[in-house]
Amino acid sequence: MNKIYKTSVFLWGIFLFFGELYAQDYSNNSQVSERINSLIKTYPSLVNAKSLAKTIGGKDIWMLSIGSGKIEQKPAIAIVGGVEGSHLLGTELALGFAEKILKDSSQDSIRNILEKNTFYVFPNMSPDATEQYFAQIRYARSGNAKATDDDRDGKINEDGFDDLNKDGKISWIRIEDPTGKYRINPEEPRSMILADPAKGESGKYLLFSEGLDNDKDGNYNEDAEGGVHFNKNMSYDYPNFVPGSGEHMVSEIENRTLLDNLFEMFNIHSVITFGPYNNLSVPATFNQQAVSKRIITGYFEADAKANTLVSELYNKTLGLKDAPKNVSEGGDFAQWAYFHYGRNSFSTPGWWVPKAKADTVKKVKELKIEDPTANYLRWADSQGLTNNFTEWKKIEHPDFPGQVVELGGVDPFVLKNPPFKLVADLVKKHSDFIIALSKHTPSIDIINIKKEKLGNNLSRVTISIINKGNLATHTKVGERSYWVKKLSVKLIPDLNQTLISGRKNQTIDAIQGQGNQSISWLIKGSGKLTINTGSPMSGTKTVEVSL
Amino acid sequence: MKAFLKKIFFTISLFVLAITSQAQQPEQFLKASGSPANPKVPVSWNRYNDYAAITEICKKLAKAYPDLVKLESMGKSHLGKEMWVMTISDFKKGDPGRKPAMYIDGNIHSNEIQGSEFALYTAWYLAESFADTKHIQNLLEDKTFYIAPTINPDARDNFIHKANNANSPRSGMIPVDNDRDGEINEDGFDDLDGDGHIVFMRRKNPNGRLKPDPEDPRRMISVSVDQQGEYELLGYEGIDNDGDGDVNEDGEGFYDPNRDWAWNWQPNYIQSGAYKYPFSLPENRSISEFVMKHPNIAAGQSYHNNGGMILRGPGALEDLNTYNAQDVQVYDALGKKGEELIPGYKYLVVYKDLYSVFGGELDWFYGGRGIYTFSNELWTQFLLYNKPADRNSQSEQYSFDRNLLFNDAFVNWKAFKHPQYGDIEIGGFKKSFGRLHPGFLLESDAHRNMAFTLYHAYHTPKLSVEEISEKDLGAGLKEVTAVIANKRLMPTHSSQDLKYKIEVPDLVSLKGAKVIAGMIVSNRDLNIAMEQKNDPENIKVPNIPGNGTVTVRWIIQNGEKYQVNVDSKKGGIASRTK
Repeated sequence: MNKIYKTSVFLWGIFLFFGELYAQDYSNNSQVSERINSLIKTYPSLVNAKSLAKTIGGKDIWMLSIGSGKIEQKPAIAIVGGVEGSHLLGTELALGFAEKILKDSSQDSIRNILEKNTFYVFPNMSPDATEQYFAQIRYARSGNAKATDDDRDGKINEDGFDDLNKDGKISWIRIEDPTGKYRINPEEPRSMILADPAKGESGKYLLFSEGLDNDKDGNYNEDAEGGVHFNKNMSYDYPNFVPGSGEHMVSEIENRTLLDNLFEMFNIHSVITFGPYNNLSVPATFNQQAVSKRIITGYFEADAKANTLVSELYNKTLGLKDAPKNVSEGGDFAQWAYFHYGRNSFSTPGWWVPKAKADTVKKVKELKIEDPTANYLRWADSQGLTNNFTEWKKIEHPDFPGQVVELGGVDPFVLKNPPFKLVADLVKKHSDFIIALSKHTPSIDIINIKKEKLGNNLSRVTISIINKGNLATHTKVGERSYWVKKLSVKLIPDLNQTLISGRKNQTIDAIQGQGNQSISWLIKGSGKLTINTGSPMSGTKTVEVSL
Repeated sequence: MKAFLKKIFFTISLFVLAITSQAQQPEQFLKASGSPANPKVPVSWNRYNDYAAITEICKKLAKAYPDLVKLESMGKSHLGKEMWVMTISDFKKGDPGRKPAMYIDGNIHSNEIQGSEFALYTAWYLAESFADTKHIQNLLEDKTFYIAPTINPDARDNFIHKANNANSPRSGMIPVDNDRDGEINEDGFDDLDGDGHIVFMRRKNPNGRLKPDPEDPRRMISVSVDQQGEYELLGYEGIDNDGDGDVNEDGEGFYDPNRDWAWNWQPNYIQSGAYKYPFSLPENRSISEFVMKHPNIAAGQSYHNNGGMILRGPGALEDLNTYNAQDVQVYDALGKKGEELIPGYKYLVVYKDLYSVFGGELDWFYGGRGIYTFSNELWTQFLLYNKPADRNSQSEQYSFDRNLLFNDAFVNWKAFKHPQYGDIEIGGFKKSFGRLHPGFLLESDAHRNMAFTLYHAYHTPKLSVEEISEKDLGAGLKEVTAVIANKRLMPTHSSQDLKYKIEVPDLVSLKGAKVIAGMIVSNRDLNIAMEQKNDPENIKVPNIPGNGTVTVRWIIQNGEKYQVNVDSKKGGIASRTK
């Protein structure tokens, strides 16, 4: 028995070893589940996994809780991946962090961090969509398995993509047509760009994703398999009735189950999102007007400062440059985490295509036209990447009889997801960043306890509550929300003591990073009294005072 | 022995028979006009029903009228009660799921309980009047009613059975840490004297600014600036249970079920009362799912209290542009009628006449589903003496209680030793007075509000194929022109519905002939039409306007006998054979 067990552990070890060595591509849903299972088997005392719900597509929404001891009582960071279904890297970064910190848990520094902090990892919020990468027909998909009428014509999923050349992926079709608005990018002829009539340019091509107009409504692939986008279904700045946003805010199992859980997790002070929103390369700025309205649309000053601090930490750790301009998308998760959840929210795509450089040796000139596809193709060439482009090739297309139709173009996924060989390094750096961030966790202490005898058995007790962390005990926006617990301060007198002034129970507002607040009471009588302070986000501290 | 038993049994039977027959002898009554004189389901409309009583009435109605009333549950409340909804229609004439429908609910705020009685009265009235009232027969042939008497059953029972005041609880029963100290519901009201009522605490205080009203010493009035008072008020009955220096600051709830709806929803720090996210309350979630499953719902009414208001959205100033002129016209026509039918009630707009609020039910019904919806705020002080309440309306409440209710609405002040305040007195109006109808006014106001709501339902679309005419084009081709009419006030799509394409277009189809081309005619006289190239058999009409028509045209081949069908989610179906 023992022998069998040992052998299986050994084999398991080999599997893990090779798994790690030979992982050549992003993980599909069952591989993600296997990786999670192996973590809970290997580190049972430090991690547990829970399936929060099953999606309509029958896939688990996983939550990993990482830490030691009473994890729900320790300040926590939530790490969320897969908010955008076509962003495969997000899942790798989230799950990769869990694997990394657990693997390193034998080191003293990491063990120490796990004793003080809890990490909740949600590897993939869009498992239905992500699976399309591994499906027979690969295309970038954001929607879950909910049947939706994206074009609101009364028919469901009636005009999806069609793999016309049977190569297993959805590319592009371009049709020579004087009414078309696209032209070939003169700097990089593999890429199609919009013609700008203001510059005297005229279009020569129609451009669609690969497919047929199955429902003959003049639009291509406008109602494909794939329902509601996790990252378009949240309640902040929600876009009503656009394809992918669902019938109303927070309508989907994935969104609801995450929120049902997060709202009951009062110890989370910061949320890290791996997704399109980026406030880590360039932090949010403070704008008085944006916080003066009834519906605030900007960061409070103190929260913007915290964002700046963490952004500096990120840029220092990652060393990534030239981040694309941040675009805030309505209904997204990262903005929700700040504006509606009231916590620090830090978000990054984790990777973007570096700027392609001119190369005089190879006679490659600098790109002057802003075209992400052209930039990608140049950069990919410089890295020797292949298998990312389909040469334009003539086809017969039933919707365009007698017209020149070509199929080709850049592959799905490659613009937002790095070649897999870069992932290991990105996981390492992002894990380092999260660990560095955890050292800034709000942390409460009681100092400068002062007892003053006022005579006749009357004493004044004064304490200072200090936040030793660099992040506030809660955000400024969270101060307003009843889903964020305030710091509570309790004074428990001895039986023969009477409270003359001050409250037995009280709550206080946020203490900023390295800030403090003092409180005093008048007490009659002698003996021991207990003072207890803290909040789920910043830990608790109890002191005893003898009078 | 046996014979004796038989005799007893016989006597009892006779006795029972006598009682039943006595209650059901139609010849003993003169039917008061407009009221069911001999209902199959007798209900007293001068008292309030708890969840069990509501359940019983619903079940009895469904049992007594299987061809008119169907009872189902939309889901379960937080505490596991059923979310009852009755489907009321003439089941023998058409599919109730395809008739334009009116959704009615009540009691979203736990303390606003009479909405349930008003909704129940409507269901009861429709069922019990069907046999002898032509208007109701026609209405139930054309329309369907979905009536959910209480959409907050947990807290309704708390309001009725636990010690409460007229304002508590407004919330549902999910526990919330209101004061954010980590303890939940630790400092609610306390029924200090154990009489089942939460009323006020007052204390004698020579520096207080109140004194008893000489007209009615039960009432506390402010003294003028140059006078000395005798009393101070200390708020509702309670103690500081958790020692934080605040009294009653963390009781049942608190969240507001009417801030939980998914149109322009905002979190609780912006909109007090919001819970976690839209439809995070199980009661509202099941309603939203029910509404999504019933796209025939074209009109809505949610009964609240109080103030005598017929409210429409927008709830929030920020949503002003959601309502365009065309829809406002429909709302105005209905609302003005309401003012006429219910004396003392005013037709008002939430954001400007009441307060600006996000995430309300009527906003989702209209903004999120394009349904013309009102919220009636039931009960108004106007009804005390059938005149507008004067500025001293509080004194009218006391005189009404004295003269018409014989002091039944008031708990008289009595002395109490309070652990924190010392010698105090406890007294005040009971929870059943102030926001709720006194018994004898309940049925009459229920009837008036029902009449308004039936009017509202009557004006959901009524579609017909009014005309089919043909023109021979030669060579075996025929031009067929059909006129589709809507004989009611509401269009098949509100402008909000059109703006976001919430509901699919209406389909006008020609079946039974080969269709060569199809078009929507915008000007029949001048022959202006817009062709629909794709799928010409089924013309997609964006909207059929209220009290208006839409003209469609087909070119058909070899068609002698064919049918024109209209299929509208909110407007119902109609057809005509040529």
